Amino acid sequence: MGPSPDQRARSDHEAFRRYVLPELDVLLRVALSRTRNPADAEDLVQDTLLRAYRAIGRFDGAHPRAWLLTIMRNAQANRFRRRRPALLRDPDAGQRLQDERETQLSAESIVVGAAFDATVADAVVRLPTRFRHIVELVDIDGLSYQEAADVLGVPIGTVMSRLHRARRRIRTRLIAAGLAPRSHNR
Amino acid sequence: MNPWRRHSVADRPLTCREVGKLLQYYLDGHTDEDATAKVAEHLEDCRRCGLEAAIYREIKAALARRAPVLPETTLARLRRFGDQLATDGPPEDPSGDGHGDPSRRG
Repeated sequence: MGPSPDQRARSDHEAFRRYVLPELDVLLRVALSRTRNPADAEDLVQDTLLRAYRAIGRFDGAHPRAWLLTIMRNAQANRFRRRRPALLRDPDAGQRLQDERETQLSAESIVVGAAFDATVADAVVRLPTRFRHIVELVDIDGLSYQEAADVLGVPIGTVMSRLHRARRRIRTRLIAAGLAPRSHNR
Repeated sequence: MNPWRRHSVADRPLTCREVGKLLQYYLDGHTDEDATAKVAEHLEDCRRCGLEAAIYREIKAALARRAPVLPETTLARLRRFGDQLATDGPPEDPSGDGHGDPSRRG
């Protein structure tokens, strides 16, 4: 004989508490990256929680974060069919960069500081969207390659190649700004 | 499958070119044990590759600093919502769109 409906509900609630609730911070962080709007992000996370709640009885307990991020991707596909323009650009980045330019650089030094951060920020904004999304998920939000692949619904190999190319582009901008030395490898 | 396992290495010291190809996998912690040790060894000995690794480390650090601070009030509302789901199940919601909790905009 299987579990009674009451027992099943109790174990579902327990599973929800164990697997879903600890991932709330990650879900909100990714939702903010994906929507760029706190209200939309909150709606998206709430929707994801409801979907996870309904599906928890079928979840086997392996890789809860990946499972939740996939649910979030599906939820977002339904909710935000029309993309919003991304208003990421930091209007002060250029000015800050200008302000820091007086620093004298040696050919082989990396100059870390406000100018470096501003150049990186500006470079991210200028990345093609498909590169930028990966950088945001992996390097800003802290997801693994596989988790980013789950969020975006692309193969992990695509995540790796886009991420690495994106970082090379960022490095190229740092070199152009005189904040990093030229590469010797390629 | 671990696609980066392809980036295992031969049993000899690595060239700069090989390290260049592995570097980002290495910095992300996605090289196997042997490759990790060989890249680390090369980076200690080779100043230029070490500098290249340092640039990528700084890029990653600069990007990590861009992580937004999570809005506490939103997080608190979502925690309450999640707790409520885990305790009582979903709120009554005649519209069926999953937004039965009017307090969440608070």
